[in-house]
Amino acid sequence: MGSPEKNLAVKVGDFEFNLTPEEIAQADIIRKSDSAFHLIKDNRSVKIELLEADTTGKKLKLEVDGEAFITEIRDELDQMLDKLGFSAVSTRQVKEIKAPMPGLVLDIHVDVGQEVVEGDKILILEAMKMENSIMIHTNAKIKAVHIRKGQAVEKGQVLVELE
Amino acid sequence: MKKILVANRGEIALRIMRTIRRMGIRSVAVYSEVDRQSPHVLFADEAVCLGPAPSSQSYLNGDKIIAICRELGVDGIHPGYGFLSENADFARKVEDAGIAFIGPGPEAMRIMGSKLAAKECVKGYNIPMVPGIDEAIEDVGVAKEIAQKVGYPVLIKASAGGGGKGMRIVEKESDLEEQMQRAISEARSAFGDGSVFIEKYVNSPRHVEIQVLADKFGNTVHLFERECSIQRRHQKVVEESPSSVLTPEIRKKMGEAAVMVAKSCNYTSTGTVEFLMDDKLNFYFLEMNTRLQVEHPVTEMITGIDLVEEQIRIARGEKLGFTQEDLKINGHAIELRVYAEDPLNKFLPSIGTLTTYVKPEGEGIRVDDGYEEGMTIPIYYDPMIAKLAVHGKDRTEAIQKLKQAIQDYKIEGVATTLPFGTFVLEHEAFISGHFDTHFVGKYYTPDMIREKQKANAYLAALAAVKYWEHESMQLKPVENKTTSWKRRLAH
Repeated sequence: MGSPEKNLAVKVGDFEFNLTPEEIAQADIIRKSDSAFHLIKDNRSVKIELLEADTTGKKLKLEVDGEAFITEIRDELDQMLDKLGFSAVSTRQVKEIKAPMPGLVLDIHVDVGQEVVEGDKILILEAMKMENSIMIHTNAKIKAVHIRKGQAVEKGQVLVELE
Repeated sequence: MKKILVANRGEIALRIMRTIRRMGIRSVAVYSEVDRQSPHVLFADEAVCLGPAPSSQSYLNGDKIIAICRELGVDGIHPGYGFLSENADFARKVEDAGIAFIGPGPEAMRIMGSKLAAKECVKGYNIPMVPGIDEAIEDVGVAKEIAQKVGYPVLIKASAGGGGKGMRIVEKESDLEEQMQRAISEARSAFGDGSVFIEKYVNSPRHVEIQVLADKFGNTVHLFERECSIQRRHQKVVEESPSSVLTPEIRKKMGEAAVMVAKSCNYTSTGTVEFLMDDKLNFYFLEMNTRLQVEHPVTEMITGIDLVEEQIRIARGEKLGFTQEDLKINGHAIELRVYAEDPLNKFLPSIGTLTTYVKPEGEGIRVDDGYEEGMTIPIYYDPMIAKLAVHGKDRTEAIQKLKQAIQDYKIEGVATTLPFGTFVLEHEAFISGHFDTHFVGKYYTPDMIREKQKANAYLAALAAVKYWEHESMQLKPVENKTTSWKRRLAH
């Protein structure tokens, strides 16, 4: 099938690249063995190692400079699905405050129904023996408080809901 | 001594037990319910569960630890660092129970454990001090007056503090009240003592500390300095020895001052005297840490002395086997603390399971760790995964070796300080040796790591396309659909 004629989208971790056919054709990359590549980019000499691959060959785990990356080639259909997914997400607003890290709730400064403004302290979370003030970055009204003092919370757990 | 209990967990417990075993002594591990599969528990000759995960119900339960020692016929307790290591009351109880505390005497711990008492103790020894006020305060009004007198920015410090806990920099008066309350509360929960004091905040300071070692016969030596200025949140991340700025004359002066501080409180065992150093290489006594330090491996690497072994020998009542003149600096050592923290997200703890965990190996590379692949990092304790230390014939070689070791250290499942380590080692200021404790604030932004990741991710994208083109050209039949993702490319 040779080189692609259209741009190719490649997701690498949480980065996304839209590679042009020229870009791909000009890349100075050799395959040394089944699992080893060598690439020269802007005079930089880089070894790339293939750690894992799925059967389609579209999803890989590669190591560059000691760091592992999951790469995923997105063809037109994949990209269309992505767009639908993204647009659904981007219209949602911040409706809750989640724990930025696991920890212990030391103190809660708000009650249900309370109006809060940007910069107000919502609660104090202790993690790894450090106390962290969790602030709010918008003006809102507290709809629900899902935690109590002394409770251990996981990262991403919803602490407070906003109206 | 026939049997030693290590009242700690994780990497430091394991590191201590290795020396204990080498000395032909039996080791006893203690652990909390979440640490049952921890390497220190698996390594020890005997192991006893202390209780539930929270430190207060496990690793801080001194009475229970002493009771276990009695039951198992333990002769000595090594407290490691953190937890009970600087608790003078615990040390006294241990000695009252007829067990050797492998560390300094309780009185020296009590004096140096209180930054205020420490200042008082060394007063007569002509040791330079940081300008400030040396009495505990709780009243915000009084604090404001003092701060005004020494001038902003000021530093609020917990008298019982350490490791950056209970410490706050205050830039302006309007922040003082909030910061002071936080510091008091943090100090109270971390150390059980809420007293704080205020010091002038020294600009462009370097943090240089001296390792001391003292036996019970009045012999005190120093094992040179450790440069610990690379810090985030007032906690050290990269440490090295020797420091690139000390001259032999200043090294000698600081060493002598450190020995004097140790002597002022009849110190025994290992201890560290911390100094602040300004850009003109003036140094000021900060505090003394009455324990083994996290960064002790760099000193061990340049002196060839096992500090834990020395602690045990001193506790057994042996004399130091060497004098100051016998000690020489050999080469250069650097340590990176590998924390489960996200350098892209304000160094917040990144908790999870170590899905991949492969350590670097090689000559002059030392990894002190307490985890294995598949283990989860608990939220209850310090998020340090390992200490990665290297030794080279000079600083340049050590930097190169550490960069390579970071590349060879494979950790997936949690974010770590490894990429931050690379950032430090590649930074011009670090390479030149001209940096201070503001290094992170001055030079570091997450974007820098992000940019580098993006550049590498781009190369990965190119390689991925190349691979895909190549594979699809071969029109190979799909081999085994059921294990699609697990197909390893070993052929």
